[in-house]
Amino acid sequence: MNRDFPRHLDSLAPLYDFTEDILEASDISPGVRFPVHLAMEELFVNMVKYNPDVHSDIVVSVTVIDTDTVTVVLVDDGGVEFDVTAERKVNIDAPLAERTPGGLGIHLIQNLADKLEYRYKDGRGEVIFTKGSGNEDV
Amino acid sequence: MFEIEHADNGDVLCRGRLDAAQCEKAQGFMDGLEGANTLDFAGLEYISSAGLGILLKTQKRLAGSSAGLRIINVNNHIHDVFRYSGFHTIFDIKAKE
Repeated sequence: MNRDFPRHLDSLAPLYDFTEDILEASDISPGVRFPVHLAMEELFVNMVKYNPDVHSDIVVSVTVIDTDTVTVVLVDDGGVEFDVTAERKVNIDAPLAERTPGGLGIHLIQNLADKLEYRYKDGRGEVIFTKGSGNEDV
Repeated sequence: MFEIEHADNGDVLCRGRLDAAQCEKAQGFMDGLEGANTLDFAGLEYISSAGLGILLKTQKRLAGSSAGLRIINVNNHIHDVFRYSGFHTIFDIKAKE
């Protein structure tokens, strides 16, 4: 199921409701729901944050592939290229004094996804996040 | 929806979903905390990296006065987010029983 969401943080609540309605209807387990919601927010916020001058909606789709595997796709038309699958250095063992806020969102998505794909062509970015119950960890 | 308030025992009660849209509210409350504080997450269902950033910023500020945040009643989903983020090494965290 697809829906367009305006490119601002006020979309997070309706985005959650849209996603939760689909997961609820398919009786998806909490161990899949949580990372799906987390990935959805992190990816959406990324598209908002890094494209302050773009005003097009972000197209979101949620698909339940089988009994407990969910794929979410976010399409960002007009945004900058931002490969969410690229390796990023995050030192989660650093002491408090060396920590700085930021950078954890993509790190979490990369660790929670069963499969994470990114495509970018002619100004159109597409992220595909897949999570199944066979790899529940949150 | 996200709610944050002081309980009668002085703990800070957090409820609902702490996402990027709720950060201003959460940060405003956290900025008023001084000394050692306990955050009770019994009613908190969800947190994203934006919420983690607020916890980290507050912990760093309080560490300057040799205090900090203790987080209790953390559900297993949030607990795993903390683990993936390495927060278990910089916060005193107690899972929900």
